[in-house]
Amino acid sequence: MTRLLEVNNLHTRFKVRNGYLYAVNGVSFTLDKGEMLGVVGESGCGKSVSMMSLIKLLPPAAQITDGEVLLDGIDLSNASTGEINAIRGSKVGMIFQDPMTSLNPFMKIGAQLVEGIIYHKRLKRSEAMKQAAKYLDLVGISNSEHRLNEYPHQLSGGMRQRVMIAMALLSEPELVIADEPTTALDVTIQAQIVELVKELREKLNMSIIWITHDLSLLAGMVDRIMVMYGGSVVEEAPIDEIYKSPRHPYTIGLLKSIPSIHTEAGSRLPSIAGAPPNLFVEPTSCPFAARCGYCTERCRKEIPSLKPVTGEGANPHHRIACWVDVTQREAAE
Amino acid sequence: MTDNTLEMQQEEKQFSLVKDAFDRLVANKLALLGMLLVVFLFFIAIFGPYITPYDFLSQDLHSRNQAPSFAHWMGTDDLGRDILSRVIYGARTAVIVAFSTTFLSLIIGIFMGSLGGYFGGKIDAFIVWLIDITMSVPSLLLVIVINVSMKPRLVNWMDEQFLITGNEFYRNTILVDFVLVFGSLALIKWPKAARIIRGQIMSVRNKNYVVAAEAIGVPTPKIVWKYVIPNSIGPIIVYISAALGEAMVFESSFSFLGVGVRPPIPSWGNMISDGLRVWQLYPHILAAPAAVLALVTIAFSFLGDGLNDALNPRQWK
Repeated sequence: MTRLLEVNNLHTRFKVRNGYLYAVNGVSFTLDKGEMLGVVGESGCGKSVSMMSLIKLLPPAAQITDGEVLLDGIDLSNASTGEINAIRGSKVGMIFQDPMTSLNPFMKIGAQLVEGIIYHKRLKRSEAMKQAAKYLDLVGISNSEHRLNEYPHQLSGGMRQRVMIAMALLSEPELVIADEPTTALDVTIQAQIVELVKELREKLNMSIIWITHDLSLLAGMVDRIMVMYGGSVVEEAPIDEIYKSPRHPYTIGLLKSIPSIHTEAGSRLPSIAGAPPNLFVEPTSCPFAARCGYCTERCRKEIPSLKPVTGEGANPHHRIACWVDVTQREAAE
Repeated sequence: MTDNTLEMQQEEKQFSLVKDAFDRLVANKLALLGMLLVVFLFFIAIFGPYITPYDFLSQDLHSRNQAPSFAHWMGTDDLGRDILSRVIYGARTAVIVAFSTTFLSLIIGIFMGSLGGYFGGKIDAFIVWLIDITMSVPSLLLVIVINVSMKPRLVNWMDEQFLITGNEFYRNTILVDFVLVFGSLALIKWPKAARIIRGQIMSVRNKNYVVAAEAIGVPTPKIVWKYVIPNSIGPIIVYISAALGEAMVFESSFSFLGVGVRPPIPSWGNMISDGLRVWQLYPHILAAPAAVLALVTIAFSFLGDGLNDALNPRQWK
């Protein structure tokens, strides 16, 4: 498969009152054409910010201080505002978390959908509307021609999320970034949206980055999972590998805290002790060191880089950022 | 049949945002009263010349300073002019001034406010600084200074232009009065509009739908115009209604002080000023324009309050 996206050593920080908040600290990953990547992590771990940094969709206080983003060979990190705007309108689509507030209440659905493509594809309004109707059909909204003339308040939450998906797809992007698209929806609608995205992916052969904090949601959906903690990637592996043999202590903790069918009723779920790292100081050690059960002297002094796992039966695509080999430790104990 | 009714229901629903606000406005009795008075004022201002019983300039020296009667509902002034006709024409002056200054101040305010609110940073700091400076100068003083310093120059310039071009247009000094009044009033009023719009835009610009529009590559001016401004419009409408009333009071104050619209063009302000000289002998000359001005001001503030309640979602019951 051909490479679509390559991100190297991305750093993003926010200017705050007395200095900076280091939100993304050296994130590197790649994405192939047609691949679906799941990005997991707790709130504030930098998963949204790092993906938003790709297309510079950040609040004014944010600064991308370092890094390289190559989309189809084009370097986005040095692109001007106008170039980025063109990329957003053609190659990259975004699906947002909260469909209830992501549509302008003063504009009809149709007008909002076509705003981007009229500008970037130089389509006539009527043609753009036809295109919009086509995509509304595709995302499963019936009576689409009529819906184009409706206002957002006339649609339910699930339908608005479908509209948001249609909006992201309308420019026929190669990459779609879905930022927790089902968090604000109830479980039945969530299942529908997940099915829809899987279906669309097959039809349109897009690459998708799906950001979530729900590990169980990603099973059976994505090809690969990237676990983030404290602004950096701590583990990255193909989907089966990560559930079967997680190697980073944080991932292990995360998986343990998902209730399973075997969990004894009434028992307490294991949780990861401690609090998320303080991001107001630039990290100099492993971000997870303070909460890690396997922590060593080295973990508090040096930042581990993302390296392929070693050992027997190791998958070459499985990479972790950890100084400790958890499997050996467990064997020794 | 079912298709049609469905269509109609949906048609109705689309306007529910505006209709809801209107229903709430009408339900408020004081606001309704204010609105009716304001509509009546506009009607008078537009059709004034056709409904006045007398010409506002025609003098009748045989019937000077007459008390109100059936022939002259509000009496006559010291030159025997019909006060009702002059009040009606004064409404025209007041409405023209109110609309143009509000409109002008709104244009400047929207431009400056959205610039500062949307882009933030140094641009915003500069605009806030400009707003603070303008607001720190006493408005009455500023308008007087502008009028007194600019007027002779402007009149001279117009005279010169007339001599050069021979165009009759340049002999119209009433125009100078109006331009100066509009200009100076807009100049002192824009900071208020800019402040409101800046605050609104700052709160709207971080809304998800703005980010969503950015994500599909909608250019910034379009985002401001189609996403940000419509969603900030509630307080702006309230500002407009308050500003219209305020502008009328301002115009009257300046005309009263002799820096605004000059006689013989009637303005409530200069009528009050005329009336004040003889109020002990002929109180009606003062009372008529003063009462009308008071009524109009109250009407605008009722309407403004009503609009504020009707358009503010937090006030909805």
